[in-house]
Amino acid sequence: MHPVLQNWRSLLVWMGAWIPLGAILVLVAHLSGPLTIAQSAAVLAPAILVLALVCLAPFYVCRSLPLRSASGAKILLNHLAAAVILSGGVMLVGRFTASLLGLERGFAPAVPMLAVITLMIYLLAVALHYAALELEAARRAEILVREAQLKALKSQVNPHFLFNSLNSISALTAVNPEEARQMCIRLADFLRTSLRLGERASVPFAEEMALTRMYLDVEQVRFGSKLRVKQDVDADCADCDVPALLIQPLVENAVKHGIAMMAEGGEIVMSGQRDGEWLRFVISNPFDPEAPSAGRNGLGLRNIRERLESRYGGAARMEIKVENCSYRVALTLPVRVLR
Amino acid sequence: MKLRTLIADDEELARRLLREFLKGEEDIEIVAECGNGFEAVKAINELKPDVVFLDVQMPRLDGFEVLELVESDAAVVFVTAFDQYAMRAFDAAAVDYLLKPFTRERFGASLDRVRARMGDARVALPQNLKQASRAPGEYLERLVVKDGPRVHVIPAGRLDYAEAQDDYVALHSEGKSWLKQQTISSLEAALDPRRFLRVHRSYLVNVERIVRIDSNTKDTWVAVLNDSSKIPVSRSGHLRFREIVGGA
Repeated sequence: MHPVLQNWRSLLVWMGAWIPLGAILVLVAHLSGPLTIAQSAAVLAPAILVLALVCLAPFYVCRSLPLRSASGAKILLNHLAAAVILSGGVMLVGRFTASLLGLERGFAPAVPMLAVITLMIYLLAVALHYAALELEAARRAEILVREAQLKALKSQVNPHFLFNSLNSISALTAVNPEEARQMCIRLADFLRTSLRLGERASVPFAEEMALTRMYLDVEQVRFGSKLRVKQDVDADCADCDVPALLIQPLVENAVKHGIAMMAEGGEIVMSGQRDGEWLRFVISNPFDPEAPSAGRNGLGLRNIRERLESRYGGAARMEIKVENCSYRVALTLPVRVLR
Repeated sequence: MKLRTLIADDEELARRLLREFLKGEEDIEIVAECGNGFEAVKAINELKPDVVFLDVQMPRLDGFEVLELVESDAAVVFVTAFDQYAMRAFDAAAVDYLLKPFTRERFGASLDRVRARMGDARVALPQNLKQASRAPGEYLERLVVKDGPRVHVIPAGRLDYAEAQDDYVALHSEGKSWLKQQTISSLEAALDPRRFLRVHRSYLVNVERIVRIDSNTKDTWVAVLNDSSKIPVSRSGHLRFREIVGGA
């Protein structure tokens, strides 16, 4: 259903807009032949009403022929053909009304000019509809981005991570106050940075990795020698533009479902390379396939997948490989360099 | 007499904190510390502690599985950062549920509850009370069975069927079977009813394993599983099956 037809008020506004447009048509009919203003108005009234409704039709045509989907020539040709047919139709309505009123002769000289103007009006309506559809699409895309950010932020600060870290601090206060203070500061650094990055749509890869490091620094205190990290990221990845909070949740997954559930711990291996137009990041961790489940799994990964989809369309890839006792996530993103 | 106490938590710092809080208590003696579920089961069975401080999320076995596998009437205090297990913990007859991080006062209150419990003439808890009821919609994803000194883990999806045998259930999985001390009804309650069907007073079957149901006598049927085992199906079991597969 066309939005203008959805309530009475918008329909009234739309019809109201046709009073000046109709007046122009009436004036043209009056000036190009013997008809008086009143006669022209009488002849054209039904035709103008039809035109007002016909000019709502581009809504459906424009939606089935989006600007980006088809070639410009095809779109233009389609709308031009529609415009010719519709203005012809409107002229026929005018002719018919004129014949009913016995004014055919007076109306005839005005027809070519009226037909051209009608055609123009229809094409203008097409352009207006495209503009409105674009605005609507932009607004919807923005809402999607906001939603994704909000979700990311919510999933970001995992309460159990926080509570367990606070418990570690509580344990350290008596035996090692200096270490306890260190841990407080690391936790604060991580939280502050993750809130700051969460407000941004994208960040340089280096900043995301720095956040990941802060997270691991906190977890290192909790898990001690159980948690080992190997990182091999090429320097030219540093200023590639990536969605904020993309890597850190992957690392958190690796700790929560992998390392934390292994009695003897394990090593998280991260690597990043830049290959021309692509950034490739791989993280792998060992896991115990027989471990009790550590709460909801896959939710964070789905969130990441959705964000990649909304950001890059189909261009980015996320591959998950589970092999024996190793879990591996590989991301391939189109490179966009900041600055 | 001192209370022999065991600490099971996978984080060294969390154990250290408990140790520190327990240090000043005259009547407490720490007999063991465990870093994962297997160690905890072994230590509890061997040492028979009076008190157990038990983390929920640990490698190998979680805290609830540990309790299922031990023969012990120790006073259990769960210590965890997760608040959603509190109901299950009390169903498992825990004495207290400590949320990390906790104050010394809160820990002290917990110890008082432990001591009060020790003063009682202790009654061994019925086994089915330990197989805790859980939140609606939350079902066991795996079963743990003691196999001599070892612990065997069966993911729920790999269980073919369970058969009641007096106070035990025989769990049949991939051609092997394991005996577990549990009633078939409590096992049924713990598993997802959409995946496991009580086809008979003594049989609980993984629905995915059923190939067909043959008529046997007038009011009994036989379910044939994909490894061609045959399971008796009672009249009400047959009705339940038809409900699940949509009246076919």
